[in-house]
Amino acid sequence: MTSLLTRMVARALLAPTLVVAAAMLVKGYADVGDGFAAGIVAALGVLLQYLAFGRDEVVAALPVLRAPATALGGLALAVAVLTVPFALGGALFEHWPPAGEAAVHVGSLELISAVVFDVGVFLLVLGAAVTIIDALAAPEEQEA
Amino acid sequence: MRDRPVSGSAAVAIGLAAIASAALAAGWAAGGGGVDVPWAPTWNLRLAFELDGLAALYGLLAAGIGVLVFVYASAYVPRHLAHQRRPRGEEARLHGAMALFLVSMVGLATAQDLILLFVFWDLTAVASWLLIGFDRADRNARLSALMALLVTAVSAVLMLVGILMLRVEYGTTQLSELFAVAEGGSTVTVAAALIAVAALAKSAQVPFHFWLPRAMAAPTPVSAYLHSAAMVAAGVFLLSRVHPLIALSGGLLDVLLVVGLASMAVGGALALAADGLKRLLAYSTISQYGYVVTMLGVGGEAGAAAACFYVLAHALAKSALFMTAGAVTEATGAGALSKLGGIAARMPLLAAGSGAAAASVAALPLTLGFFGDELFFAAALEHGTVLSALAVAGAALTFAYMARFWCGIFLGAPRGRAQPVERRLVWPVAALGAVSLVGGVAVGPFADLAREAAVVTHGARVDLAAAYHLDARAENLMALGAYSCGLLLFAGRRLIDAPLELIKRVGGRAGPERAYGVTLGGLNRLSNRLHDIEVRDLRARVAAVILPGAGLVALGVAFTPTQGAYRVGAIAADDTPLIVALGVCALAAVAVTAPRHHLALALSLSGVGFALATAFTLMGAPDVALVAVLIETIFALLFVAVFARLPRGVLRREAALRPARSRQLRDVMIASLSGLVTMLVVWGGLSRPTPEGGMAERHLALAEDAHGKDVVTVILADFRSLDTLVEITVVAVAMIAVATLLRGRLRA
Repeated sequence: MTSLLTRMVARALLAPTLVVAAAMLVKGYADVGDGFAAGIVAALGVLLQYLAFGRDEVVAALPVLRAPATALGGLALAVAVLTVPFALGGALFEHWPPAGEAAVHVGSLELISAVVFDVGVFLLVLGAAVTIIDALAAPEEQEA
Repeated sequence: MRDRPVSGSAAVAIGLAAIASAALAAGWAAGGGGVDVPWAPTWNLRLAFELDGLAALYGLLAAGIGVLVFVYASAYVPRHLAHQRRPRGEEARLHGAMALFLVSMVGLATAQDLILLFVFWDLTAVASWLLIGFDRADRNARLSALMALLVTAVSAVLMLVGILMLRVEYGTTQLSELFAVAEGGSTVTVAAALIAVAALAKSAQVPFHFWLPRAMAAPTPVSAYLHSAAMVAAGVFLLSRVHPLIALSGGLLDVLLVVGLASMAVGGALALAADGLKRLLAYSTISQYGYVVTMLGVGGEAGAAAACFYVLAHALAKSALFMTAGAVTEATGAGALSKLGGIAARMPLLAAGSGAAAASVAALPLTLGFFGDELFFAAALEHGTVLSALAVAGAALTFAYMARFWCGIFLGAPRGRAQPVERRLVWPVAALGAVSLVGGVAVGPFADLAREAAVVTHGARVDLAAAYHLDARAENLMALGAYSCGLLLFAGRRLIDAPLELIKRVGGRAGPERAYGVTLGGLNRLSNRLHDIEVRDLRARVAAVILPGAGLVALGVAFTPTQGAYRVGAIAADDTPLIVALGVCALAAVAVTAPRHHLALALSLSGVGFALATAFTLMGAPDVALVAVLIETIFALLFVAVFARLPRGVLRREAALRPARSRQLRDVMIASLSGLVTMLVVWGGLSRPTPEGGMAERHLALAEDAHGKDVVTVILADFRSLDTLVEITVVAVAMIAVATLLRGRLRA
């Protein structure tokens, strides 16, 4: 078992890590970072929890067992963003809003379809990374 | 014997064939018509179907014979499955594939775009593979199915090459547009020759004929369909369809002529020597399509008319004969001439129906086949004396083996006991025989159908006159000559057994089937050798990727002009941090080779990555640097996690291993070579000035339209979203693989 200090730091860092990841994700279109980087940052935050608390506690505290579904959901979201315009009569992979039109703002957030695609990438990377981390952390005898 | 009820799947297939026949017949009666909708407009591809004369002929054959063959199959297949103690449910698989066969043949016949034609062409190959290999437990059936698929699908690739050549030359794959603009020349000749190769392979012409006798491993209804109206017919169909292109080159027509005559001779001779019923018929098919290819080689009005009429007459008769073979085998349990004889009295209707069909193939008067031979002789006469003589010889061979087939089964001393069989095994044969006889009396509608098809093949008006002439004209004399020679061959067949046996033996030793086997075996051995080398250990696997890669790139570098390609730029003062970062990177890379302990190795590898990330930062690529740092971090941690799972002892033992001296030397050489080549390529790339208005500038300009400010993210999420989608799919697959492997190992 890791020291108290490690555990406290790990616990304290989880929320900021996820916030950083979220910021990278939504700011990715205008600043450094994208869905992939955000996914890895979030996965590192989760990995830190595994290191500090061990698998059993993480499984009890966080929804890590839903990671494979998250990954596949992200893939489905990405596919959907690319194919929905086609279903609506446009071209495959057409982005919205179209060139020349102003993006719709919600507060300071711009609604752009490519960012939604990036969210799909984020979910996939996070889900895949956590799935692999969890598979590595799973004790051998438990599933034997 | 009481007939079993028709199963649901068989009923669906029969219904489909009946509806297709009715629709095609009604469409043809109403004067044709077509569908033309855009498919891939940017490539000028259209889903263009048209019911022209040629489409009507082949479509009606596929659908009409399909009805009768499917009815026959509804009785035959349950028996076939029962013989092999297989569940009756497997029947649906056969009927489904037969229906696919029918649909792809009708699609092929009506397609007016070469790419579309190619799609249906390959669909027929898929259907035939499923059908020939229907007896999955039988190794021979599987190999035969593979052979049919390889011979016809590999040659189809040549056809695709030919189609693309035409497309590059004329910018279209629409047949009508091609015919309008194509002129004789090397491109058209080569393209047409490639297409013709695929067609000849499909029609089992010499030297591709060997797959067809093997394909009789299929259940009999499949053979009946494959030999008459589908698959093999598709080859001559394609030749007829693109004949205006082939006819632009006289040399190509001569090649067709030679191939057709060779197939007539080889197929006819082997049919005369064959003992198995289906084998005899298979060789006969090779020979009969040899007739058609010969006539297409003669070309012109007479050739086109003869070819189209011959296909019609042959398809009707050949399907009946195959179904006869199946019914006889089901009734007596024997499938070879040497074990059969004298069952005409036991199966009179079958004997009559197949007698009419055999007479039609042998071109006796009062059958449809008579006119086929009449037109054939007329076309040969127009071409010259030599061909006329060869035509008579071919017809004599056909007469002889058909007489052998029918007389061998139905006449002579009764041998074997014929059990009664379902009526559905007999009446389709009788129906097809009746059609052959009706055609022998009232040839009008058949001649009309063939004439309209010939118009498409010939590309101009065709005069097709089929009638009996009771005079001493050349065609009649040739027919009489063929009958008498055929009768002599039939009577003296014992005498020619020895030379035929010799032909068979030589063919087996040095024929194309042998070449196919040797090629396939050689490829298999080569693949096994390479695989063995590659999978020996991890180093070999890495080498298997980087060594060929380095070799190919080195070839590319060797053939690229190098003048000015390798420049050494100046070093400015503010480059110092970058140089330091790169120096650290190089040092770390060298240091990776030192540690023997796994953890130290993993950490020094991360060191290289972090140093590289620093270099990216200094070069003004924060996005790349960020991803590099994150990846290095998570990978270092994952490495540690993996090592933690491995038993300590294994790690210690592995760390203590020292590879052999020669292996070390080899590894160093491979690594140096690939490193050197990589350096050359990178150096060359960096020496090139960034072009004005290049991709990078366009991306920057377009990012504005995409509402993005970080061009790297915009490229990933918008401009190259398809690439990204493929990559994240790979990540998903890798995730599933890793999770499955780890869990699977634990369970095991």
